[in-house]
Amino acid sequence: MSSMNSLAGASGKLLRRIHRACRPSLDEPNVALNLEICDLINDKQGNLPREAAVTVVKLINSRDPQVAELALCLLDYMVKNCNYPIHLQISRKEFLNELVKKFPERPPPSYTRTQRLILGTIAEWVQTICKTSRYKEDLGYIRDMYRLLRSKGYDFPPVKSEDAAVLNPSDNLKSIQEIQKEERLAQSAKLQELVRRGRPQDLREANDLMKIMSGFKEDESLEETKQKVHHDIEKLKRKADILDDMLNNASNTGKFDSNDETVSELITALKVAQPKLQTLIQEESDDQVEVNNILALNDRINNILEKAGYLKTGEITSSSKGMNLIDFDDDDVDESNQQQPTQSSTNDAIADLLGDLGGLSFNSTNNNNNNSQAGNLSGFGAINLLASPDQGNTREQSPAPPVGGAFDLLGGFSTSQTASTPTPAPAQQQPPKLDPFQFDFLSSSNNTTAQSPPSQPQQQQLYQFAQKDPLKIEYSVISKVSNEVKLSFKFTNLSISSSINNLTFSIAVTKAFELKMSPPSASNIVVGGSPITQNVSIIAKNGDIGSSGIKLKFKCDLIVDNLGALGDTGVVTINV
Amino acid sequence: MGGSFSKLFGSKSKEIRMLMLGLDNSGKTTILYKLKLGKAEKTVPTVGFNVETIKYKNMIMNTWDVGGQERIRALWRHYFSGTDALIFVIDSNDQDRMSDAKKELYKVIGDKELKGCLLTVLANKQDLEGSLKPKELIEYLELEKLSGHNWCVIPTIAINGTGLTEVLSWISNNLPN
Repeated sequence: MSSMNSLAGASGKLLRRIHRACRPSLDEPNVALNLEICDLINDKQGNLPREAAVTVVKLINSRDPQVAELALCLLDYMVKNCNYPIHLQISRKEFLNELVKKFPERPPPSYTRTQRLILGTIAEWVQTICKTSRYKEDLGYIRDMYRLLRSKGYDFPPVKSEDAAVLNPSDNLKSIQEIQKEERLAQSAKLQELVRRGRPQDLREANDLMKIMSGFKEDESLEETKQKVHHDIEKLKRKADILDDMLNNASNTGKFDSNDETVSELITALKVAQPKLQTLIQEESDDQVEVNNILALNDRINNILEKAGYLKTGEITSSSKGMNLIDFDDDDVDESNQQQPTQSSTNDAIADLLGDLGGLSFNSTNNNNNNSQAGNLSGFGAINLLASPDQGNTREQSPAPPVGGAFDLLGGFSTSQTASTPTPAPAQQQPPKLDPFQFDFLSSSNNTTAQSPPSQPQQQQLYQFAQKDPLKIEYSVISKVSNEVKLSFKFTNLSISSSINNLTFSIAVTKAFELKMSPPSASNIVVGGSPITQNVSIIAKNGDIGSSGIKLKFKCDLIVDNLGALGDTGVVTINV
Repeated sequence: MGGSFSKLFGSKSKEIRMLMLGLDNSGKTTILYKLKLGKAEKTVPTVGFNVETIKYKNMIMNTWDVGGQERIRALWRHYFSGTDALIFVIDSNDQDRMSDAKKELYKVIGDKELKGCLLTVLANKQDLEGSLKPKELIEYLELEKLSGHNWCVIPTIAINGTGLTEVLSWISNNLPN
């Protein structure tokens, strides 16, 4: 009855295809058909891995060497494409015995081609999946068979490392979900096999496995998986470090070999990992520390890939631009500033706009872009990351900006970034860092208005800057000279029931300007409480502040009673 | 190969595989041990499965009883392969979940791996008042429309063994040669 059944449905389809893939009239393997067979097995699972293995090994023992070779080739495809469900089958004692059925007790003086291929296949398994598979303890019989053949005097051909590489677990970062999915697939395959074997020890194991699979028993693998992911992220970090070093060297020496194997391998690894990082952030969303960790890494990778992109297109100098996470610029301002000399085209300092922004965030004590970024989950990096997973790629492909105008500007303001060292930008180009614990704004903004910030703005005309209930932000112009405008921002709590806490306000200006921010007068506003004020100076680098508007990008985070954390971002043009 | 041997030596003892499925608390495990040991053991919900060999006439029936809780149902398919007879146990008194039972039954017998196997539906717990009678069950489950399976519905009371021998004899009489 079972043989009748096996001709129907997926299994019949499978067997027909296997026979078609191994028919003697075929001069060389039909790759498409082989892959089709693998897909079918992967798709249907169940008994198909076993049926495929049993059928193929029969064909390997065929009297026609051409059939045997085609079958061995198909087996190779299956082992490389169907993973554990097939690995489990080829590690069965019955299968292995069948595989070497035609081997004489003592090695013959010379092997047939089929024998050599079989020996090579076994050697390859022993050196790959038997060592590196997550489930290698299930594959013990392969190693036993290898030892047995060795002890009988059989020689194994050397394993080609490029063939073997495919069988080793890929280095690519995998999300927790993906790993768990693989795990479930493996568990399914194993349960199926245990139930089929049906020996008492198999049944005991099957019962245990069922408890895990149906969630009645703690699955230790989840913890393991998380650890593995963590480990992989660390590995990715090291790769990022190495690539960054190499790129820095390249841009320092002005030599960059884009065909360098290591570099392109590292670039690929980072690119491949990026979408996964995004998935991981969602999966780990309850683990703040890990999320921050991953976000920081992602920013880092963005920067490095961008740098690599510029280096590749041959514009070595522009690589020092680093990655401007806030695409924020006035084109006309750029034009007028084209004559500015390049202040820095090396990569020894970090000061891209985001870095400044992060540094200016009051609740951050760290100027390190990555750290402040990570501390501020809703920072621009995060927005970027979630909005465009392929950003690294698209940016990399986009044409590099002209080395002339735009870059000259940027040179002074932003340079590429090395996150490992929280490097403050060189003083002459650096918007002052804000130390939240010094509160020296009285001295830093050396005008009288600063001494009484709450009262002063009232004499000025207030303009609306932004409003996000219950917070209202207004500003007034305190003073304006040719190259500098001083503003006072006023934060008002409009709510009649909730107080505002932990208000942080960050702004960024376009590259033609520099920014000095004083600390705010407070960070909390109780209901009906007096507004917070904060003074800001904007200095035009070319000496002329102009009379047209100045674009400000801002980001505001606050915690409101009963409402929780709120945030607002946007770009506002202010009139001076 | 097994087939040719049994032909050679006659049908001295035929080994078959029976799979017992059904919602949780329908009585599968009780039936299994009543058949195996002849007495109704106290059972706990099966997390996993039980398997026992039951000898009946000249047959060896490897009987698999897989847990019926919702989380385990997804794993039933691992036990389909090679099944000669499916015993689907229904708590005839659990009218609330009758539609669940029907849904699961059709899911199972629609699987290709169970194509053509015998189907025995047990209308269990007939001792309880208000239980669906076999006729009502046939109607509810729309078994008359079922094609591709040789089926029957047998009223049973697992705790005292009523109807269980009929199950075995129906299966042994209806197995294809």
